[in-house]
Amino acid sequence: MVMEPEGHRNRMELLQGTLDMLIPRTLKWGTAHGYGIVQALRRQSGEALQVETGSLYPALQRLERRGCVRSGSNSESNQRARYYRITAVGKSQLADVGRWEQMVEVMSAILKTEDGGET
Amino acid sequence: MSWLPKLFERRKDELDEEIRAHIAMDVANRMERGELQERAEAEAMREFGNVALVRDVTHGVWRWRRLERLAANLRYAVRGLRRSPGFSITVIATLAVGVGAACAMFTVVDRVLLRPVPFGDADRLVEIGETPKGKSAFYPSPFLDIHRWQDRSPKLREIAFFGSNNSRVWFLGGNGDAMHVSSASVSANLFPTLGVHPVLGRGFVVGDSGGSVAPTDAHSILLSDAAWRTRYGADEAIVGKTVELNGERDTVIGVMPRGFTFPYEGMNSTGLPIVWQPIVLTPADALRGHHQAPTYQCLARLQASAELASAEAELNAIQPTIAETYTDPRDRENAALVNLRRYADTALQGNVRMTLVALLAASGLLWLIACLNVTSLMLARATARQREIAVRRALGAGRWEIVKQLLMEGVLLSGCASLVGLVLVIGLLRLFQHGLETQFNLHESFTPNVAVVGALLSLTVASTLLTSVWPAWGGTRASIEPALRQGAPQQGMGRAQHRVRTVLVVTQIALSFTLLVGCGLLLRTIYALRHVQLGFRTEHIVVANMTIPSYKYAGRDMTTTLYQPLVDRAKHLPGVESAALLTEVPLGKTFQMIFSFDVSGDSSSAIRRGAMRAQFRAVGPEMQKVFGFRMLHGRFFNEGDTASSQAVVVVNRAFVKEYYGDDRAPGKILGQSLFSLEKGRPAVVIGVLADERQVNVAEPSQPEMEVCLPQVTPVSMFYNFAEGRAMDVAVRTDRSPATMIPELRDILRTASPDLASSSFSTMDQIVEDSFGSQNLAAELLEIFGCSALLLCLTGIYGLLVYLVAQRQREMGLRIALGAQQWNVMSLILRQAVWMVAAGLGVGLGVAYLATAALRTLLYGVKANDPWSMSAAVLVILLGGLVAALVPARRAARVDPMEALRAD
Repeated sequence: MVMEPEGHRNRMELLQGTLDMLIPRTLKWGTAHGYGIVQALRRQSGEALQVETGSLYPALQRLERRGCVRSGSNSESNQRARYYRITAVGKSQLADVGRWEQMVEVMSAILKTEDGGET
Repeated sequence: MSWLPKLFERRKDELDEEIRAHIAMDVANRMERGELQERAEAEAMREFGNVALVRDVTHGVWRWRRLERLAANLRYAVRGLRRSPGFSITVIATLAVGVGAACAMFTVVDRVLLRPVPFGDADRLVEIGETPKGKSAFYPSPFLDIHRWQDRSPKLREIAFFGSNNSRVWFLGGNGDAMHVSSASVSANLFPTLGVHPVLGRGFVVGDSGGSVAPTDAHSILLSDAAWRTRYGADEAIVGKTVELNGERDTVIGVMPRGFTFPYEGMNSTGLPIVWQPIVLTPADALRGHHQAPTYQCLARLQASAELASAEAELNAIQPTIAETYTDPRDRENAALVNLRRYADTALQGNVRMTLVALLAASGLLWLIACLNVTSLMLARATARQREIAVRRALGAGRWEIVKQLLMEGVLLSGCASLVGLVLVIGLLRLFQHGLETQFNLHESFTPNVAVVGALLSLTVASTLLTSVWPAWGGTRASIEPALRQGAPQQGMGRAQHRVRTVLVVTQIALSFTLLVGCGLLLRTIYALRHVQLGFRTEHIVVANMTIPSYKYAGRDMTTTLYQPLVDRAKHLPGVESAALLTEVPLGKTFQMIFSFDVSGDSSSAIRRGAMRAQFRAVGPEMQKVFGFRMLHGRFFNEGDTASSQAVVVVNRAFVKEYYGDDRAPGKILGQSLFSLEKGRPAVVIGVLADERQVNVAEPSQPEMEVCLPQVTPVSMFYNFAEGRAMDVAVRTDRSPATMIPELRDILRTASPDLASSSFSTMDQIVEDSFGSQNLAAELLEIFGCSALLLCLTGIYGLLVYLVAQRQREMGLRIALGAQQWNVMSLILRQAVWMVAAGLGVGLGVAYLATAALRTLLYGVKANDPWSMSAAVLVILLGGLVAALVPARRAARVDPMEALRAD
């Protein structure tokens, strides 16, 4: 906790809440387990995103509670693993990308004004 | 409870498995890429991060996290309490006594005071009666009067009426298996006025005039729920069928709701199921005047805007014109005014309300004492756990977390106490079942209803708040550091806490003293009541109060066909000295008959004797042998007084005093003729009885007349009034009632099967019951007082023991420096005396005020009776001394070496 391992330095830290939007997106193409989601996000972001397991699993629980994903278990290579699947509710929220873009705009606007203030 | 943790466990296991799978996949992946297993595992673990943290954070998302924490608190509390069973059991027992007493009293109060008449909006129901000027009588009225009121009283919404029927017991159903019921006649508008409607079938059809029942319904009856269930097995098809009631055929037209009884009060509240008969007007109802028209009791509902007093004034404005229409001057006088009273008030007789309020207050005090006691214990426990609490706070537990934890313990303790208390409630009510039945007419057994359960829950919550909040808050207030550093755990907050606990103990003493004084006053009352000269013997008398199937004896003389053979057989039972018939035993409260009549002739004192009213009784000549009362003058009835001999009557001294004046020698009444037993058969006074208590032990003797049973034949008007309605058999015997009663019951059964369900008692028991609510109050207060005393003594004891333990080093030091045992003991005793003295000082004041409220319950003793007060002072002083002696001796025996070396 105190010392960040070297390998993590160059990767982006995820902002709170963004995981909740990213996870359903990775599940759009099929079911996955926790490890699979981490790998998928890393791959899709071009190795830039390292999802902390301490954020991933609570996020999965949150999404499940909200009904966006559903979990089940299957036996895959003699290891019982819990997999997640997107629900209709989750899909409908996927379509709502507008909110995210709006947020990005607002954030970049704020960040720009702060930059301007310094110079 | 156990499924909850299990659910959490399963969920946790699932998460663990998921995490394991995650890591295993990562390892497998890395090994595929050519890493060595060891390195792959280490890398996977490193990348995954802190497994425990991930697990905890993920838990936090779960919805029942809160519940889980609560369960954990609860588990912890259970564990903590299990570790100190002595403390837990003491607290639970103490609180259970308090909660049990208060809840039991509330159950009774709820039944008797809060819901005296179970009708909707019962406060608006009023009873109407007629009264002579200057008196507050409540005579029933003939229909003509009622009809006039109905027309002219806009402040009363409806005036309904009812009559009590001749027999006390009716027989529902055919021969052989008839069920005993009680019965009342009601007008058609009565139940609608009460706001109660049949749940099955219909009510009586309203006739043409005054709310009476239409003649088409003359042979219809309504059943109470109990009658319907017990006699007809809740058969809905019974409506419309014909059944037998006292041998007559009537049609059942409906069933009233469960729990509905009417009339609600009354001497003959036998707890029997009820059958209601219709009041159909007869030609006699078109008459006015005594002995001509039937009279009814009236019940009306006040209009929403009207008040009792204004409605009374309204009726009294028209009453003179009604009274005028009476031809008989005596009747006119008796109907001079109208009297109104709330129906709900009539259900509570005498000082029942007072008794119950006093007892409820007493049980409340007991509860308070128990709570104070427990608070003191909790404070001690919080102090003892100071270190533990400090350690937990040092480890990062928030203050609120710890308070919650301590409160959870309190909730658990009060919860357990309430459960135990509930058992006590049931036990207490069962123990006093007899008293409750006779004093408050509570015939149903105890079933917790919503109000009672609510009371129990609020008591539990209140107990928790009272006992736990302060100790919990105070226990966590102390700063952590000194508590952690100090060797002796208690020393930190000793002084302030000690003061608080002293105040608690002093309060307990004061409250206990108040209860003890109240208890003493009632014990003296009972003592005084027991020593009232009753005027007759009560020991060795068994009494049977018969349920008489009089309808089977229509046209026959019941005395000769039923009663006399029965008594003759009872007389010949082994061990029976004598047996007598009488309409009611003294103090019996089963069937009171008041006889009023006018005396003709002897004009000199005609005014005084204008209307004589006397307790009336028809008795067998053997009565004197059974009860052994004294005659002041003349003789009692004997075998020579028969149906064919001179009619005779006996009066008592109070009768002579009331109607013939004190100045006149009571003997002069002998030979006078008061009234005629039947036409042309005047009865002469042959004897004067010494005074006796007939109605209530605490009430002085009332005028009384007795006639000789064998002389009352069916032609006499007294026959209808008395014989079919009530008859007791009193048997004087040396044998125990337990063996006597079955044999008597056999005799009654052979005489008539219906008599087998007669109720039996002993004269001693009847006298005891007639003491009124004081007896019950005294017994309950004895229990409450003793419990309070015990609690308060354990309070003193507990505090002193604690004190001694705390000051052990000081004591050791004193002894080491040469203090004598007695010096050390007196140190502790002085503390005890201070507390007791302060408690008694406060208690005297409280008791003085509280017992003033008891005044109406007392007999033969004043409210601020110095003897009761002194006795209570003595009891507390002695008890306090005993409670203090053990800790004091323990202090004196402290080994100085050990005490100084310790720690």
